Amino acid sequence: MAEKNVQKSLKRNEDPRLLVGKTTFIDDIDLPGMLHVAIKRSDYSHGRIVKLDVEEARKLPGVVAIYTAEDLGDYWRPGPLQVPPPTAIKGSVFHARPLECIAKNKVRFSGEPVAVVVAESRYIAEDALDHIILDVETLDYVGDLEKAIEPGAALIHEDLDSNLAADVVQEVGSWEKAVAEADLVVKRRLEVNRVAGGAMENRGFVAQWDENLQVLNCWATTQGPIPMRNSIANYLGLMENQVRLMNPAIGGGFGPKIMSSQIDDVVIPWIAIKLKRPVKWFEDRRENFLGTTSERDQVHYAEIALKKDGTILGVKDVMYHNTGAYNPYGMTVPLNTQTHTVSNYRVPNFFTEIKMVFTNQMVVTPVRGAGRSQGVFVMERLLDAAAKELGMDVVEIRRKNILSPEEFPLRTGVIGQDFVEGVLDNGNYPAALEKTVETIGYEKFKSEIQPKLRAEGKNVGIGICMFTEGTAVGPYEGAKVMVGVTGKVTVFTAYSNQGQGHYTTFAQVAADQLGVNVKDINVVIGDTGQWQWGVGAFASRGMTLVGTAIHNASLKVRQKALGLASKVLNTPEDELEMQDGVVRVADMPEKFVTLGELAQRSNPTRGTVEEGMEPGLEAASYYGPPHGATGYGCLGMIISVDAETAKPKIERLVMTDDCGTPVNPMIVDGQLHGGLQMGIGEAFYENLVYDDYGQLLSASFMDYLFPQASDMPDKFEINHMVTPSPLNPLGIKGVGEAGVIATPACFMQALEDALNIKGMEIVESSISPSKLYHYMEKAKSA
Amino acid sequence: MKIEGSHVFNGPREAVWEMFYDPNVLTSALPGAQKVEQVSENEYKFDMNVRVGPVSGAFSGGMTLEDAVEPEKVTIKGGGKGAPGFLDGVGNVRFVEQDDGTTLMEYDGEVNIGGALASVGQRMIDSVSKSMIKTGFATLDKALAARLAAKETGEEVKFEAPTETEFAKEVAKDMVGGVTSSAEVKLVLYIVPLILILVLLSFLFGR
Repeated sequence: MAEKNVQKSLKRNEDPRLLVGKTTFIDDIDLPGMLHVAIKRSDYSHGRIVKLDVEEARKLPGVVAIYTAEDLGDYWRPGPLQVPPPTAIKGSVFHARPLECIAKNKVRFSGEPVAVVVAESRYIAEDALDHIILDVETLDYVGDLEKAIEPGAALIHEDLDSNLAADVVQEVGSWEKAVAEADLVVKRRLEVNRVAGGAMENRGFVAQWDENLQVLNCWATTQGPIPMRNSIANYLGLMENQVRLMNPAIGGGFGPKIMSSQIDDVVIPWIAIKLKRPVKWFEDRRENFLGTTSERDQVHYAEIALKKDGTILGVKDVMYHNTGAYNPYGMTVPLNTQTHTVSNYRVPNFFTEIKMVFTNQMVVTPVRGAGRSQGVFVMERLLDAAAKELGMDVVEIRRKNILSPEEFPLRTGVIGQDFVEGVLDNGNYPAALEKTVETIGYEKFKSEIQPKLRAEGKNVGIGICMFTEGTAVGPYEGAKVMVGVTGKVTVFTAYSNQGQGHYTTFAQVAADQLGVNVKDINVVIGDTGQWQWGVGAFASRGMTLVGTAIHNASLKVRQKALGLASKVLNTPEDELEMQDGVVRVADMPEKFVTLGELAQRSNPTRGTVEEGMEPGLEAASYYGPPHGATGYGCLGMIISVDAETAKPKIERLVMTDDCGTPVNPMIVDGQLHGGLQMGIGEAFYENLVYDDYGQLLSASFMDYLFPQASDMPDKFEINHMVTPSPLNPLGIKGVGEAGVIATPACFMQALEDALNIKGMEIVESSISPSKLYHYMEKAKSA
Repeated sequence: MKIEGSHVFNGPREAVWEMFYDPNVLTSALPGAQKVEQVSENEYKFDMNVRVGPVSGAFSGGMTLEDAVEPEKVTIKGGGKGAPGFLDGVGNVRFVEQDDGTTLMEYDGEVNIGGALASVGQRMIDSVSKSMIKTGFATLDKALAARLAAKETGEEVKFEAPTETEFAKEVAKDMVGGVTSSAEVKLVLYIVPLILILVLLSFLFGR
């Protein structure tokens, strides 16, 4: 039996070229005659455009053209919704207001594009921006999620009656019944802050019209090459194959790069065709903060009904979800919140309502965690509050209510982002809880260590939080696997890679079926000219969906190779084995045929073939799950706080995670580390702050703080559990978001435990030393 | 944001009022002011260079004066915009005679700052503005003293405004040392509204 590659921590195929700088990122692309774009963005958050004068800017030497919404003529139209409305949910209300590529008549957020400058160089293009005059009649800024939908609030979309973008209610059982039977109902108002994706590389787009072939070549940092290509073709009235969209190497995505129908992919291709010259736009960092979507920002009115012994009877959550000025991404984020609120626990009655609100802020679309963090934050904080009221231990109340392995698969009754009822496929949640509790030494910490530290005047606390990670949702992904005449293999996908290691993990999956070295497998990702079916990188779905498609396609290729080799070697298929790039007779290793030769033979150039023959040692396959696969885990943190400066330090961090079969455990660890770093950032450093007029105040890395390596705990202590998902042959679940989800909830729980001030409860997902200090002072003086 | 502040001028109200008749004095306290012109009786236009940390560029705007009661008070409405962003605001300025012969200048208002000034400059704006206000008022204090001295002796006013470089040096010194608090600053003060108010005053009195 050949040695397997899946579940091995192989070093990444892509790293040598990344480490020596031999990779092309979008800003490295330099085409002859290329023009450069700079985007004029509105400084105003809400107003009617009174005057937009670009004449002075046009006169600047080196400026080739300037386009406003008016200049686009009939080409200007609001983009399609990228995610459809939640019609699967009965009674749902959704007012679709997709993005406008360039603002026309009205600006709805600070940073909204109003004009595009095309110039011989980026310097000139940026200089020209200063000469564009934008006059607006300012309108009241709408930013407060609750006030936004009160009567009398300024309307962001004036054809609507209010700023309510959507209202979706889902109820399982009866919350009223839960309250009637409850000994205790705990209510809290909880806030989740707003954070950026903050990828190392910003967004970019290059377009080149090939007049001869009538093909538009595009390079984009998108996470969804196929949908973006389709959107471009649709806008321009081209056939899909006339648009070849390619991903260069991409320096991180984290969600916002999934967006299309924005100024980059709508207007830049149009300009490239109109001017018949290549055009490049690359976003700078301030522009990224202002012009790229971001997420979180919800206000929750949450309640939990319990019996005296801590048994949960029901949960009610009414959330205000900020969608920003438009809602092109449908309800993915708040639906994720709904599906992740009670997902770890037995909650017989659950009422959840989304009030999605338009504001004069950047559009909200998924950022790593995408709604899941909010749901988990709400539930974990409710449990902590309930535990306090009941005088229970925080771990005990979780033990009491946690779902047991026998309950799976569990239909949740809540419809999720994929518009089907959620099903928790499998897992052992209590084991994850106990593993974290044991590794971090919870009992000993509470009974021995903490009392001793407190006696020494030290504030050190512990937090234990559960989470689930809904991953690997549909609709589908596809892949083609091809053996070449050299015997090497190419795996074609139209997925998108932002650093997840697909060049290695996808190869590992194919290698196991084809018996070739992982290094001899070339993975093509994000090139619609080479493979053109797929959806995109979101919801931690790549490894599961594309990986399964590759697995299935590889099996087909394997069958084809064995069939062909059987004839060549005159040996029955079941006596053959595939290993080391050859098909050989199992007990006569000297009798073999190479995969390269089989590839050659599968494409005869003279003679005749059998009827029904399909050329090439290649096969395609597609995979779409009936519903997502759910990963889960438990996070534990020990945090110390300096009582004078209110500065916390993470002393220990223990995470137990189950993402089914880990294709490459090293890469899984990398995903967990990155997610945890992002979660720590969210809890303590990162914050998108708008002022009272809708100006984004933290639009640079001076003010938007990223946690540094030195802010991390000395090590991440990771426990792995492996419960293969029953949904796909390899048993894979996603893991891209696991680390980020429970971190803010666990952080706050540990801080409260560290400070041990009666009545001090942190009701927001982001804290800073000054905020924490105020919490402490307020609780002390109460 | 709301702004509020005050400054005590060491001289009688009329002298302070009069000082503002001299546009040279005020421009000296306001480095960056390039051009101010009167459009109509109560309406002005100005051009200036703004620099707050990494954010800089030309800025042009206009303002109107309302409810002026000479030499007691005036309300200023105005705004401007340019590469660094925009500013819209309204301010009230009052001069109050003090028992000790000094004049208390009080101002308050509401200002909305947008664009790069807000999104990038805001972290610097507070300390830069405090320092510029401090340095600006110090210049005006000297100017006033020189004017009063000249009045007494009947000689020509001996006042030399600091150069833009000297001014910048003072601000830089404060930035390094950190201006934590200033007697004049009651709440949050921002340079642009102050400049707006002072430029307006200079023309109110310069008419």
